[in-house]
Amino acid sequence: MNIETLIVSSLYDFSTDLVVQELESRNVDYFRLNKESFADYRITIDIEHKTLEIIAKGISYVVSSETKSIYYRQPIFLRNTPNDSLSIEKQLVRSQWMGFLRSLTIFDNACWMNRLDATYLAETKAYQLCVAKEIGFDIPKTLIGNHAEKFHKFNKPVIIKSLDTILLREDGDCLFTYSTIKNVNELTDNKVASAPLTVQEYITPKIDLRVTVIGKKLYAVKITSKGKGIEEDWRTTERDQVEYSHIQLPKLIEKYCFELMTRLNLNFGAIDLILCNEQFVFIEINPTGEWGWLVNSNRRFDIIIADWLMGDE
Amino acid sequence: MSQHILIEHAKRKPYSSSPEMPQGATFDTAKGYWLSDNEPLVSPGSKYGALVSKKCDQETGEDQKGE
Repeated sequence: MNIETLIVSSLYDFSTDLVVQELESRNVDYFRLNKESFADYRITIDIEHKTLEIIAKGISYVVSSETKSIYYRQPIFLRNTPNDSLSIEKQLVRSQWMGFLRSLTIFDNACWMNRLDATYLAETKAYQLCVAKEIGFDIPKTLIGNHAEKFHKFNKPVIIKSLDTILLREDGDCLFTYSTIKNVNELTDNKVASAPLTVQEYITPKIDLRVTVIGKKLYAVKITSKGKGIEEDWRTTERDQVEYSHIQLPKLIEKYCFELMTRLNLNFGAIDLILCNEQFVFIEINPTGEWGWLVNSNRRFDIIIADWLMGDE
Repeated sequence: MSQHILIEHAKRKPYSSSPEMPQGATFDTAKGYWLSDNEPLVSPGSKYGALVSKKCDQETGEDQKGE
């Protein structure tokens, strides 16, 4: 079967379930390639004919130059640091399947959400902050590095965060970091020298905004608890205490968001802004940001993504 | 040298390579989504609804950044 849309995902990516069901309801020929199942498929990229054949449960699915779109929901490089040493088989599996995923870039006729090279660049926080500033966004004062003394220049509480998603494992635990408010005098050489971090001015009072851009469509929500902004990283607040409600952005801020998408060559982006004293401040953009948690009858992102994948925007 | 400040503030949780799935849930390779009693497991009309939590927050970042 020649497929119109390839979805590159993982088994437990439930947001993808919603998009796939939408494609099925439109009788689209698609295939969902799950990373956990790579060894169960039989896969061939034919460079001469620029095709990819995936045989799954006896059925052949072919990606070719006729394939309309690729919905890419996977990492673009190896991020995990294993806790235990990996067998040579596992090392081989990790590096070579990642190389295979990068090889999908040969399908450059397809519309990508998003292209791997665009995601790679756009995930670089320093780069996205500079581009956002060039466009006209206000951004927080930001220092990146491991020189504690430089951070002390802020002379007031700051936000500390990682440069890239932290995925750590220790014994039977996994570790994840959130943005944290700190006093600069806690940023000492022996606590920061071993690895760089991002330190930003702490903007307060704040209301977090999430702007989801899909092609030419934009949806903005504000994230509050009991009607008020959440001072810490809102993800640390109990889920049933968090509200997501529509907010109309000023036209200029919408324009900036679309311009950022264009500059970063993204067709999907989840942009985090802060609203502080009626001023909109850019925090970051997530090129593969999650959206399933925002879906409701007014925000059917699954339908909008399916529209985009079918070129029906 | 003491622990890096990012590790000091990291949230820990028990590692699990896969989420706990409802009993009887199966992934349909041809359809490309999860089923429960032959109906979509995750959809606006299902008993689990369409609201997908930010389930991977603590393990893989906001999106599918980890393996």
